[in-house]
Amino acid sequence: MNEQTLALHGLAIKKHGDPAGVAQITGLPEEVVKRHLDAAAEAGRVNRAGEKYILAPTAAISLQSGYSRDFAEQRANAEMNRAYTDFEAVNDQIKQLITDWQTMEVGGERLPNDHSDKDHDAAIIDRLGDLHEKAEPVLDRLIAHVPRLKVYKDMLLQALERAEDGAIEWVSDARIMSYHTVWFELHEDLLRILGKERVE
Amino acid sequence: MADPRWTLRLDGPDLPDKALIGGKAWSIARMRALGLPVPPAFVVTTRACVEFLGKGDWPDGLAEEIDAGMAWLEEETGRRFGHGPQPLLVSVRSGAPISMPGMMDTILNMGICAETEAALGAEMGDPAFAHDVHRRFYDLYADIVLKCVGAEFPAEGDADSWAATLRETSGRAIPETPRDRLFASIDAVFHSWNGRRAKRYRKHHGIPDDLGTAVAVQAMVFGNMDAASGTGVLFSRNPITGERKPYGEYLARAQGEDVVSGKFTPQPVETMRETVPAAFDALMRASAVLEEANGDVQDIEFTVQKGELFLLQSRAAKRAPAAAVRIATEMVREGVITPEVALRRVTPDQVRLLLAPRLKPGEAERADMLCQGEAASPGIGIGTVVTDSDEAERRAALGEDVILARVTTSPEDLHGMLAARAVITEKGGSTSHAAVVSRALGVACVVGCGLGSVTGQAGRTVTADGATGRVYDGALAAEAPDEDAEADLAQLKDWAAAACPIGVFTPEAAPEARIVDLNAVEGGEDPAKLPALLAGAEAATGGALASEEGMGAAIAAKLRFVIGRPVLPLLLAGARVGQAHEDRETVAVAAQG
Repeated sequence: MNEQTLALHGLAIKKHGDPAGVAQITGLPEEVVKRHLDAAAEAGRVNRAGEKYILAPTAAISLQSGYSRDFAEQRANAEMNRAYTDFEAVNDQIKQLITDWQTMEVGGERLPNDHSDKDHDAAIIDRLGDLHEKAEPVLDRLIAHVPRLKVYKDMLLQALERAEDGAIEWVSDARIMSYHTVWFELHEDLLRILGKERVE
Repeated sequence: MADPRWTLRLDGPDLPDKALIGGKAWSIARMRALGLPVPPAFVVTTRACVEFLGKGDWPDGLAEEIDAGMAWLEEETGRRFGHGPQPLLVSVRSGAPISMPGMMDTILNMGICAETEAALGAEMGDPAFAHDVHRRFYDLYADIVLKCVGAEFPAEGDADSWAATLRETSGRAIPETPRDRLFASIDAVFHSWNGRRAKRYRKHHGIPDDLGTAVAVQAMVFGNMDAASGTGVLFSRNPITGERKPYGEYLARAQGEDVVSGKFTPQPVETMRETVPAAFDALMRASAVLEEANGDVQDIEFTVQKGELFLLQSRAAKRAPAAAVRIATEMVREGVITPEVALRRVTPDQVRLLLAPRLKPGEAERADMLCQGEAASPGIGIGTVVTDSDEAERRAALGEDVILARVTTSPEDLHGMLAARAVITEKGGSTSHAAVVSRALGVACVVGCGLGSVTGQAGRTVTADGATGRVYDGALAAEAPDEDAEADLAQLKDWAAAACPIGVFTPEAAPEARIVDLNAVEGGEDPAKLPALLAGAEAATGGALASEEGMGAAIAAKLRFVIGRPVLPLLLAGARVGQAHEDRETVAVAAQG
């Protein structure tokens, strides 16, 4: 995948993205991303929305249809597909964990987690750390086939360690590159690489 | 055998040092010391772990001591480890003196193997259950000791096929005998002391690396032995309402997981009075003893095995906001705790949730319900249904109240969700994107209303109640509860006002002053920016104040007073800041003296 396609691919994952955000998940330098997005905007393949960019519908379709060529090797690789199956297994547990993080059980009823119970929060962050340890070998297997995915692994560890240090918004806050945000975007990237659909 | 050097039996009236046996073993020992019925246990001490860490191998004599400990558990329970006819199964738990992330989790059902599966099945008259215990042991061992995901152990399998699966997925083999598996688990606990998270946590908190962790080995009890067996949870007071009356659930012929799984409906705990009266009486006594000893409402897990009560765990109960208020104020009146402690037990967020707007009484009954889904994030949202996130953002920017209705949401809807008064979806449950993100944003949300139910309502004015999962036609009347109308809240307010180092007024009662409105200045929602924004002001108002950080900033900026409604969350946050400050001063004085 060339730099320009990669910049558009990163924007597709972000949906609404700025060059810094796209650079962060693709590993491209920010100014390179900005140059490509601006060029794509000139060509009508990307729309500007304030500081952010959105892929134009036709560009989104041509990006999608190019994937089978861009990622032919990965899609044909049995090891990559097995690693993805194991990623899905961890993904199910991450989703459950995020729900547990946002709710708490009180006498059999589920209420929103008001973060009044520090032990409850700490126990879930501990579980997230445990899950991360199980995810690491799976991520390494994926990275072996798509080396640029390593940026996600680094961001996951960074978010995890911030949460462990008490900045609990790094667990699931949708407005920052929290553990859940990074995980979600990595999942989106993998779905695109392998041409799969998200199951809710 | 000589006096044990590396292990300790958790028995008798003396409480061993927490540094030696770890937190979990200490709470077992404490319950035993209070005379409460707890399954017998012994502990591999932190001293053994420290020796292991220094030497890189097990201390001499540890294996023999563990064997002796297991023999003692066999004696106490009348059961045998690794053999029938009545097999002994144990749990293995790590426990550092200071609880720490990254330590190995609990392994259950240690001792199950082909022979003991058959014996347990015969004893319970339920071979399928024994088989499942065996299967779940593989699950846990793979998950916790071998840290492996994706290994499936189907019920149709047996020990041989499961062991083969495990070898294939993890690349490692499970030891043959129950004794070797027990040893391997204890070894894994020792090793977890030097995992990434544990090391990092110790460094961050200045905890020495050579404290070591203990390992508790405890006999397991079974709630599905016969009709006089069961398992349940008891709260020493009602955790929903706060009423001073034990509240709990009991499921006869069941194990702990059955209660949690939701597959069976537990009965009120009072049903035990009929079926297992002695165990019920013992449970009520234990509840009173534990609440008094710990000075707070307890959440007690228990099992009844062949009519005999065993306590598994007791801890301070989580409670709903209403219960937190009632329990805190009542316990002060009972003389159990001081007002200062009561203020620490109710958070500003709990009070804010309690005083959040809700539908006026009778409104829901009068209104037409358009659809119902799963309640995913509480709050009332009233506005016009919009089915597109860009449109939602645009119309909200023009001052219109909008409700975002989507089949499902994805990250590209974030800007629409931020702009909406509520988010409603047709597909997905409590783990769907809409539910997860709405809770994070504090936006009311109802999910899974059914295909065609909400996106077909574009342009209609609706009221969404995120606490009940209902969406109504039209704009219903909502109200915020009155913080002065309820006696417990009023009482809490008096204590909080006395402890809060700064004045708090409602907008009407506030004196004249130079007031900063944080909701109207850029960055006013960010606690980190408050010190700069508050500098030089006499008073302030705005949503960001109702937290410890917010009130801390107001107090540090030497404001004369703050303004808000309701005032109680502000007062509570201020009182907490005041207390933390006093604690520091006391420590400082003590250090000087």
